[in-house]
Amino acid sequence: MGSLFTIRGLRKAYHMGDETVHALDGVDLDFERGEYIAILGPSGSGKSTLMHILGFMDQPTEGSIVFEGEEVSSLSADRRAWYRSNRVGFVFQSFNLLPRLTVLENVALTLLYRDDSNRETNEAAAKFALERVGMSHRLDHRPSQLSGGERQRVAIARAIVGNPSIVFADEPTGNLDVKNVDRILDLLGSLLAEGITVVLVTHDLGVAAKARRVISMRAGKVQEDRQQ
Amino acid sequence: MKIFDRLRPAVINGLRELQANKVRSLLSMSGIILGVASLVAMVTVVQGMVGNFRQFVDAMGGIEKIAVDRQSLPKEQEHLAELSEGMTLRDVEQIRATIPLIRNISPEVRVGYEKVVYEGHEAITLILGCTPDYLPVAKRWVDPEQGRFISDLDILHRTDVVVLGSSIAAELFPPNVDPLGKVIRVKGKRFVVVGLLNNIEGSGMQVRSANSKGGSGMWRWRNSGVYIPVSTATAKFTGNDHLTGLGLRIGDANDLQNTVDQLERSLLQMHNGLKDFNISTNEETLESFRKTESAFKLSLGGVAGISLFIGGIGIMNVMLASINERIREIGVRKAVGARGSDLFLQFLAEAAVISVMGGIIGLSVSMGIVWLMNFILIQAIPTQAVATLDWKIMAQGLGFSVIVGLVAGVYPALRAAKLDPIEALRHE
Ligand SMILES: Nc1ncnc2c1ncn2[C@@H]1O[C@H](COP(=O)(O)OP(=O)(O)O)[C@@H](O)[C@H]1O
Ligand SMILES: [Mg+2]
Repeated sequence: MGSLFTIRGLRKAYHMGDETVHALDGVDLDFERGEYIAILGPSGSGKSTLMHILGFMDQPTEGSIVFEGEEVSSLSADRRAWYRSNRVGFVFQSFNLLPRLTVLENVALTLLYRDDSNRETNEAAAKFALERVGMSHRLDHRPSQLSGGERQRVAIARAIVGNPSIVFADEPTGNLDVKNVDRILDLLGSLLAEGITVVLVTHDLGVAAKARRVISMRAGKVQEDRQQ
Repeated sequence: MKIFDRLRPAVINGLRELQANKVRSLLSMSGIILGVASLVAMVTVVQGMVGNFRQFVDAMGGIEKIAVDRQSLPKEQEHLAELSEGMTLRDVEQIRATIPLIRNISPEVRVGYEKVVYEGHEAITLILGCTPDYLPVAKRWVDPEQGRFISDLDILHRTDVVVLGSSIAAELFPPNVDPLGKVIRVKGKRFVVVGLLNNIEGSGMQVRSANSKGGSGMWRWRNSGVYIPVSTATAKFTGNDHLTGLGLRIGDANDLQNTVDQLERSLLQMHNGLKDFNISTNEETLESFRKTESAFKLSLGGVAGISLFIGGIGIMNVMLASINERIREIGVRKAVGARGSDLFLQFLAEAAVISVMGGIIGLSVSMGIVWLMNFILIQAIPTQAVATLDWKIMAQGLGFSVIVGLVAGVYPALRAAKLDPIEALRHE
């Protein structure tokens, strides 16, 4: 399959006055293409920080990240935006759909900021992605007219519409009822078939159980990394 | 091309935001609306007034005209009266020879208000002796089908020809009679009508000129003059070669003061130092008009400027509030790949959309104001509408509003652009 991420000596420190918080304190990891990974750990262990850095939202204080063969640990803000636009997708606990936009427009948003953005092709791709998550019957609805599970499916469509290499999902089932949890987790799992690497961030053992590889974190360090 | 592709969704988005927050947006536009409306309405009205001023000054011969009138000697020179023979054609020759800045000189003999008669129709009006130079100096003309003006030959031979103003001609002659070639009596003497002077249209302002004797409106006077050769006037009526006045025209208004100085020196010399003449220009009139104009422009421009400034602050305020409400949206957009510049553009476009909308509403309000002002002015002065809206001024007003919107939008847009995506997403 090939290596997607090679992470060495990753550190992230936050300075709060005199105090320094080491949110990541020396992380070494390798992600292969097509893996289904859960990052498990208690609150404050550094899961979100790791996800933000790997998702090109943030930069590490120290360490090296090789993504698809390129060193990406210190990119300019615009370059990171390019990676977010073209290489990664996010699914959030609180969905984060824009209330003013329709379902279709929310999904097409991912393609809007690309250099070759074009309304028709964007919308065609968005329709396709919505079909993929079983939401093509709600194209013109507003997010507020949807249930939580439906909203998260739209959010997944938005994450995959740009054909990313990797999708990060931060507690994607945290706001869902039991019935929808499985459905969303299955949907995420099905992305593997398309060669998309899925990283599930969670503090829930039951959720993590769905993944094939579980990385346990504690206090900014990888405590355990096992296949299951 | 690329910037246009990025702009389109930004503008569409701006329109949507505007639609979603109608009341708030309208409130934020109020300053711009007021500013653009007052700017356009006021510039239009002031321009209308200035146009009338210009017409008025033009009708008085324009700024390049200088008038020299006979005047009684100042007290301290009264005992020297016989030293000067007054203004004569010799002055005209001297001025022609020595002051090249002067392009035309029109020597004039004011015979006075006298009776003119044509077959029982009679009127009393001003009789003026003049030369061909009267036309360029007074900016008048005789249309070819209306005959001709007084010629050099008329001056030379002291012919009994007369040129009439349009209203006096209408008074003396029935509508079916062509005045050209007809004989009229001027102060009892026979004259042949050879031409009719062009008609001066009544202008918007019915200004009463202090110079016009008998208190008649100056426009009426200008159409009721009776013009005869200056040599005929002296020979037949005044009995001496004294001129009552000179009209002079210079080529360039910038030479006005210089010319007046030279003229004064030259005339004093000719008149042995006696100040039996008075030189006047239209400059003072124009100057007072200019002062009024710039006072208007200053105060109204100030009002418009302040409104636009307040309008800008209003837009900035609303943009900042809107960004504050939409921090999460900004975070989401960044998470899916928007650059800082994309968000900058989005919020700048939003500010521009608000201000352009405000500008457009302001323009329609200004149309209403101008209409109302014209309505009021027509009640007061029934001659003509004072102001018409000019698309150039409207475009300028709209341009101003766009500039204000862009300037006001820069700071909020920069704030949106600089937001950290993670913090923005964490925002409640
Ligand atoms: N922006 C920040 N400023 C200061 N400290 C932060 C910031 N973000 C995260 N942290 C700290 O870093 C540690 C890891 O946080 P996070 O990655 O959010 O943990 P998790 O997602 O596992 O709950 C925590 O102690 C948190 O307080
Ligand atoms: Mg977290």
